[in-house]
This record gives sequence, structure tokens and C-alpha cells, in this order.
Amino acid sequence: MAKRVLVVDDTAFMRMSLRNVLEKNGYEVAGEAADGEEAVAKYQELKPDVVTMDITMPKKDGITAIKEILADDPGAKVVVCSAMGQKPMVIEALSAGAKDFLVKPFQPERVIEALNKVAG
Amino acid sequence: MTELFVNMGELKVLEGNGRLITVGLGSCVGVALLDVQNKVAGLAHVFLANSGNHKPSDQPGKFADTAIPALLDSVLKKGARRYQLKAKIAGGAHLFPTAAGASLNVGKQNVEAVRRHLREVGVPLVAEDVEGSYGRKLVVNVDDGTVIVQAIGQSAREL
Amino acid sequence: MRSRDELTPMQQDLLRELGNIGAGNATSALSTLLGDKRLDMVVPEVVVCSLPDTMGLVGGPEMVVVGIYITMSGDADGHIAFMLPKDSALSLVGILVGMPVEELDEMALSALQEVGNIVVASYLNALSDMTGLKLVPSVPALAVDMAGAVWGAILAGAQITEDFITVIKAAFQVDGTSLDALIMMIPEADYFERIFSILLGTEAGE
Repeated sequence: MAKRVLVVDDTAFMRMSLRNVLEKNGYEVAGEAADGEEAVAKYQELKPDVVTMDITMPKKDGITAIKEILADDPGAKVVVCSAMGQKPMVIEALSAGAKDFLVKPFQPERVIEALNKVAG
Repeated sequence: MTELFVNMGELKVLEGNGRLITVGLGSCVGVALLDVQNKVAGLAHVFLANSGNHKPSDQPGKFADTAIPALLDSVLKKGARRYQLKAKIAGGAHLFPTAAGASLNVGKQNVEAVRRHLREVGVPLVAEDVEGSYGRKLVVNVDDGTVIVQAIGQSAREL
Repeated sequence: MRSRDELTPMQQDLLRELGNIGAGNATSALSTLLGDKRLDMVVPEVVVCSLPDTMGLVGGPEMVVVGIYITMSGDADGHIAFMLPKDSALSLVGILVGMPVEELDEMALSALQEVGNIVVASYLNALSDMTGLKLVPSVPALAVDMAGAVWGAILAGAQITEDFITVIKAAFQVDGTSLDALIMMIPEADYFERIFSILLGTEAGE
């Protein structure tokens, strides 16, 4: 069965790009969220196998969302996809419980590679 | 015909038969002071509401609190009569309503400051086209005191 | 701290070099986004100018542009604009989606917002690597309007009251297309203080 992914990014364009990449590679997009608040709510509702998480988002940032998702489900698998590739931010995301950190712009193969590793 | 362009933070005055033009008013406010009888007009492109501790002598047009008195002074020196003066303003848009720190609506603050300072110097505000979320171009015809406002993708209209 | 006299040649040089490194990384990011197209970056400038003169930096006030505005916070504050003429914006989205684009519809604007986000974050990532400072970009805000209105609103957002503004500017051109873009950074005083003390071991204004 296809692994189900929750795609979290504040721009519709990036959600669409990720959806294309994921669906082409045998993943199912269970849902999309445009900010951290929506991400937490959608996670609880959809219980996806894996989440791609942006960091810089309105209302609630990705790091806070990761913490809340993991507090609710310690087994949650989150891969960060953010343009903010600064060391302190990467460390913060990983220590919040993210499994991997992809810096935008990324090659589609890198996303699939990371998801296969995390969700596989 | 003379055409004077007023850049951000500047103020200029013209008499007779010319035009004062300012382009790209975003959160800035264009303030026109007009004396039609004497064919004198002044235009300021106000950038922020308050000069605070910083009173610029060379760029009074930058702030509402320094621009209005300086503009008034300049049109009076060119021969305008104080009791014949009327004001028209445009601008003060909120271009980035979703930006971080957007609760700070500079455009609205500018409009309110300009209105207040016009009241303080006793020049009646007879027309305005303010706020919204789009930029404006402003053309002041000095001889008849008409002011034309235009936004991107919209037709020009008289204020 | 933004005034002309207070920046020494050494400090200006340092700002330019940082601008170079930031813009270099932003260029690579943009190039990757555009499917490894070759990009030319004009050497960044540190421009110190008066408010009325800043309009010249964006190619005149009346040109219609897409402007993306991002504020920087974290260990230092600043304001960053990624601006491109409307026709360049259309070309950019066209390259991204692989077909000609004639209108800036919602998806095109979303794409541009994401490009702005990635380009500016890449710029800041390089500055962060260089200085060790954590520089956090805000969610990007976007406007399509006259360059004067867009740039003026960003300057006003920066609440500049000083006579002179320091702007760190970088320009890009994409090989074989009519694509021009600009990154402009208006740092707050604490940015200068931090980077000068980290990289020159001095206090700003010394």
C-alpha cells in the first residue's frame, strides 16, 4: 500500500510541486496544510505515515508544529523541507524530533530518498 | 509646460502653467496644497508620519509633521494666499497586509498624520483618495487645481 | 549608524563581501530552481544614499514590478526585498512551469512567493554560515505594483528616519532570457554592530 504523506508548506506552488513528485514516486498525498496550526490539526485527523514540513509559515512555524505533533504521537515521522538551511535551525529541527532536513531548492530525488528512508 | 517630478520625501512648488507629478505612492501620501486664484500649487511626497527626534532641515517633505508646515511656507512664499488654499491628498496604501509586523499600518498612520497637521495649519482638506492596497500616481495641474490619480490597471480619475 | 560618514572603507568592503557571499548562494539557489540555468550576478554594491535617490536603485518608480518583502530577525534585524519587473516575473514562472505564462494568476504569484522565500533564505543562510548569527526570515509578503510604491512601502516598513540609507544590492540576469531580478537588503543598526564586531573585532562606528 502506498505510504500516506501530509504535505505542509505555506505556498500553494510548493505544495503542488511536492504533490507531483510524491505521486510520481508511488506516495499518496493524504492531505495538505498551509501553516503550522493546520499541520497539527491535519496530522491528528489523517494520521499520515510521514509529514513534509516547511519551517517559515504564518500562524505557527514548523518547529513548533513538529513539537506538538510529536507530543501527541511520539512515533510521528517528519521530514523538514525548508529554505532555512542555517546550522542552528537544522539542529533545532532535529532536536525537536525531525528525522531529516532538506534545504530548498532540492532535487526531487532527494525528497524521495529521504522519505523512503524515513517511511520505509 | 513645466513638469516637476516630486520624489519620495521631497516637496516642490510651482506657479502658473505647469504640472507637479509624483509616481509610485505606496504607503506614502501625496499632499497637494492649491491656490487656484493665484495659480500656485505645492506637492509633498510624505514618507512617514513623525520625524521624532530627527528634524531634517534638508528633507522636510519626508515626514508629515515637518512636510505640512514647510509646504505651506513654500506656497505662501510663491504668492499663494493662505485663506484661498485647499488641500487634496492621495496614497497611504497598505501594500503588504500579510507582511510580518503589518499591524504597523504605515499608510494609515501617514494619512491620519497628514489630516491632523492640515487641520492644525487650518487648510481645508477638500478631496482624498487614500488607503486600499495599491500604489498610485498623482498629477497636479497648477493652473486649475485639478488633481488626477491613477493606479495600475485602473483608469485615471479626477480627485 | 546608517549615515554616510560612519562607515569606514573597511566596513563598506566587508558589507560588500558579505553581500557577495549572500547573493552568490542566492544565485545558486535560483539557478537550481530554474533547472540549472546559467545566471549572471552583477557584483553587489553597498549603496549609501538619500531617500529620494533610492528610487534609482529599482529602475524608476513607475515600472510595474513584483516585490517580495521579507523581514529578518533572530540575532540581527533587517528588511529584504526581492524585486523583479513584471515581464521578468512572467519569464521566471514560465521557466518554472515549463510553458509560457501570460498572466500572474494565483498559482504564478504563489510560485513567485516561494522563489522569493528560497532566494532570500539562501542569501541569509550564507550570511549565517559566515558570521555564526542566526538570521530568521519571515513569511514572505508579495505585491505587484509600481516600483516606487513597492519599494517605498518596504522602506517605510523599515521606518527609516535617518538622512541616508545603506542598501546592499545585488542584481541577477538569466542567460538567454529577459529575466532581471534584484535583492535589496536594508539592515538595522544591530546588524552592522554584530557583523563588525564578529568579523572585524571592532564596535560599529569606531
